[in-house]
Amino acid sequence: MFAALSPQFRSIENVQNIVDAAAVLAVVTCGITFVLMMGSIDLSAAGVMGASALTVSLLVANNRNDNDFGLAGVAVAVLLGCVFGCLSGLALVLLKVPSFMATLGVSAIGLGVATLMFAGVQPNISDAMLKGWAIERLLGLSYLTWIAAACVLAGWLVQRYTRLGRYAFAIGGAEEVLTLSGVRVKPYKVAVFTLAGAFYGLGGVMVTSQLGAGLVQAGNGYDFSAITAAVVGGTLLTGGRGGILHSAVGVVLVMVLTNGLVQVGVSPYWQGGVEGLIVVAAVAVAVIPQRRRNQVVK
Amino acid sequence: MRIAFRPTAVLLTLSLAAAALAGCSEEAAGDKDPANAGACKPADVKLVGQVRNESNPYEASWLAGGDDFAKSVGLTQQRLTYGGDSTKQQEQISQLLAGDTKCLVMNVLPNGDSDTAPIVKGADKAGAYLVTQWNKPADLNPADYKTWISHITYNGVESGQQIGDALVKAVGGSGGIIALQGVLDTAAAKDRFAGLQVSLKNNPGVQLLDQQTANFSRAEALTVTKTLLAKHGDKVKGIWAANDDMALGALEALQQTGRTGKVAVVGIDAVPDAVKAVQGGTMTATVSSDGTWQGAIGLAIGFCVATGKLQVKDIAAASRAFFAEQFLITKDNAADFAQPKTNPSDFECGNVFKRVAGPLK
Repeated sequence: MFAALSPQFRSIENVQNIVDAAAVLAVVTCGITFVLMMGSIDLSAAGVMGASALTVSLLVANNRNDNDFGLAGVAVAVLLGCVFGCLSGLALVLLKVPSFMATLGVSAIGLGVATLMFAGVQPNISDAMLKGWAIERLLGLSYLTWIAAACVLAGWLVQRYTRLGRYAFAIGGAEEVLTLSGVRVKPYKVAVFTLAGAFYGLGGVMVTSQLGAGLVQAGNGYDFSAITAAVVGGTLLTGGRGGILHSAVGVVLVMVLTNGLVQVGVSPYWQGGVEGLIVVAAVAVAVIPQRRRNQVVK
Repeated sequence: MRIAFRPTAVLLTLSLAAAALAGCSEEAAGDKDPANAGACKPADVKLVGQVRNESNPYEASWLAGGDDFAKSVGLTQQRLTYGGDSTKQQEQISQLLAGDTKCLVMNVLPNGDSDTAPIVKGADKAGAYLVTQWNKPADLNPADYKTWISHITYNGVESGQQIGDALVKAVGGSGGIIALQGVLDTAAAKDRFAGLQVSLKNNPGVQLLDQQTANFSRAEALTVTKTLLAKHGDKVKGIWAANDDMALGALEALQQTGRTGKVAVVGIDAVPDAVKAVQGGTMTATVSSDGTWQGAIGLAIGFCVATGKLQVKDIAAASRAFFAEQFLITKDNAADFAQPKTNPSDFECGNVFKRVAGPLK
């Protein structure tokens, strides 16, 4: 539809642009999809991404200190994401805090840690490798986009071929049945949150690469856009349905939508509302086939 | 549970109680006659600077400016931050006003328009000298109060126009530009964009190809700019951003699409990274309100009135609520703004209203 309305929308530059812009959201959505499949919810993306963005920007070459750890810095930031994810998972299974609250709390902790590291001076990165991820291109797409593609592939493989992925599905579908058949679900729940945390950590690193600086607000809004993308793609909030590939389609749809509205020239004063309307409409259409089976909506 | 005797805790409780009692009695005595205003000895003046937080460079420079002024008169500034929380700001103010208010001077950045009224009323009742900056509702005027000396703010239309003109000049007076707006329902975003429109009206050769909001955010500006660059391609000769964060996001977008240096970028606020970019030539211009001056001037005005060197009734009506002068930073003068500093002569009692650019409309 947008392609018909705007010739620029069809241009190669714009397609590159959409795919590049979708990179970070795709990675974050990969993480959140696992949690949603399990029937839990995860609102920790914003905080975890902020903390990992600050961590990586202080560990690679930057204007605040003399660190220059390169890839090791990236690895530490992703690990930090894992730790935060693990924390959410433990709070859920050990303390029985509902995932909604546990992850919201972890998000606040992440933002707090990020603010402490920020300390009044924005760290700008000068690391050529990390900056290059957003600028250099391979086959017309930025490295970040390839990283995102690799994440989607890895996520799909985990979902399809590992015990972790299949149990996540099963927990969302029928946790009681799984427990009754003698499976200890708790470790798997923690593992799923940890995996999601790793994806958010990587997302934070990618935002830092794009912006060239470590921002506390690096993950601002990504938690809800990722949930939106997953749901638009057909992953149900009740769990047990959908998956990585569904969500990847959702990410592309959401990005096409935001990009298309600007390309067509919808006034900024209208855009927010129009976007929301289209998302609700899209989800309504997506769940039509399931309406019969799934009477309850919550 | 075992109750242990803790000497420190007891001491603390006792001293707190004593402090509270002292506060109460002082308050009773602090109910002074406004006619005696200005009877404070310089050494008795208490200077307080209050801003949102120290984690952004602008407000940190504000407090640093306040410290500089306090030092120049042999006092220290009490630094207060309320983390952008209106309730916390009101609590801090009422705590201050519950103490000795006889020679209290406050330089306050209210969190929002609606937070100004309670602060003003509290200070007026306690007889504390108050200067507010940036936010106040239109119907609340310092002229109606005895100790609310001044309200200082900046003309967003003017700054929007200043960078608009700088951008027009940078693109050579003709060609297309795009605009990144701030959060659409804020006064700052509206005024600044109105300024751009004035500038465009005066320069018909320059055409506004598109305007979008990026909500004052660096990350959003990056995506929006990339989209607009894909839409308009090489027709874009300049980018107007309503603040520096968005301008910096636009710079990243230019770098990622291989256009660095080919498109002029302007912003407002003079955050350190932007000043550096202007100095380095990747950005064309930004506007500074001079945070260090703001932090010092409020205390200086209050100090002059408290010590009797200035009388509130002698201050011109136009100086009670005014737009202060702001500075366009371009490559020529960027070096002067790279290191924020204060000029002591700005804060002599005869000079405190030197930067009045016009009355508040």
